[in-house]
Amino acid sequence: MYVAIKLDKEKCIGCKMCIFVCPEANVIAFCPKSKKVEVNEARCKGCGLCVVACPKDALSLDNN
Amino acid sequence: MTKNILKMSPAFADIIPAEYRELVDNGPYGRDVGVAELGTFKELLEEHPLCAGCGLALALRIFLASLPAPEDTIVVGSTGCSSLVFPQAAVQNIHSLFGNQNSVASGLKRALKLRFPDKDKDVIVVAGDGATADIGLDMVMHSWFRRENITTIMLDNEAYANTGGQESGMSQQGTVLYMAPKGKNFPKISMPELAREAGCVYVAVGTPAQPRKLEKMLKRAIILARHVGPTYVQIMTPCPTNYKFKNNETVNRLKGLEKDGVFKPREYITAEAQEALNRLEEVSK
Repeated sequence: MYVAIKLDKEKCIGCKMCIFVCPEANVIAFCPKSKKVEVNEARCKGCGLCVVACPKDALSLDNN
Repeated sequence: MTKNILKMSPAFADIIPAEYRELVDNGPYGRDVGVAELGTFKELLEEHPLCAGCGLALALRIFLASLPAPEDTIVVGSTGCSSLVFPQAAVQNIHSLFGNQNSVASGLKRALKLRFPDKDKDVIVVAGDGATADIGLDMVMHSWFRRENITTIMLDNEAYANTGGQESGMSQQGTVLYMAPKGKNFPKISMPELAREAGCVYVAVGTPAQPRKLEKMLKRAIILARHVGPTYVQIMTPCPTNYKFKNNETVNRLKGLEKDGVFKPREYITAEAQEALNRLEEVSK
């Protein structure tokens, strides 16, 4: 089983809270053009710290 | 070191890993980027082997992002979870014997001063609580007594985490761990106060739950170590594996510990260091 976070782009407000709590480097990138974050799922370990930190529930843990 | 050393030969460009190419094109070398810009540049760290939700990994990520000059920084590490990260980080690193980190750093700083008299080379010690407060305490204290110009950073996870969870001098009294079933008998060592008395010009206790504040502490410690004397930063980094809490509770646990008064962020600075800091901040404006 590989666990990674899933981003709902509609809900993201670009506050970058997830970037500041993520213990993995380069997983969540901020796109200055769209003012939203992007997720690199291959680098994610699925700890869920960003899910707790997100104020808009835009991130969720995807177990598959 | 200049960025030219990192640049690859054009003939090999197609076989160089994508991560390395990204580091050369969009890395933090020679640019004024910090914690606030995280997510917009390629970080120095890459796929480390630490556990999911590790507080230490979060602290190291913030540490690597807040380095004032990553190309002129040498990190001296010691055995422990923190040493697992540096083979994956794009900074110069020396792995010393367990507990010897501050002695190695003292010699290195003196040699670099002779070799590059007109350049600031930051020598930073990054070690865990076992290497700093237990096994290497004499080397750490004596580097402070000698007033070596090095920054000592302790990543305090309150246990020997990668050998199965033994109690360390920094564990709280009564802590029960996998390899400490009876609970710890004596209280946590107050390292920041020891550092202040031993001659550190700047001492700070921070948490990765407040990344910008931690960045400010780390930057101050590194800059003051260049100009004034030894500095010490202690970062609280909870361990979900040995303290048996869920991976996603690391940051909330830090906030809870601070609320309960178990963990107190604090800063001590000498008058001489404060004066130097004011002068440096005025110049940078």
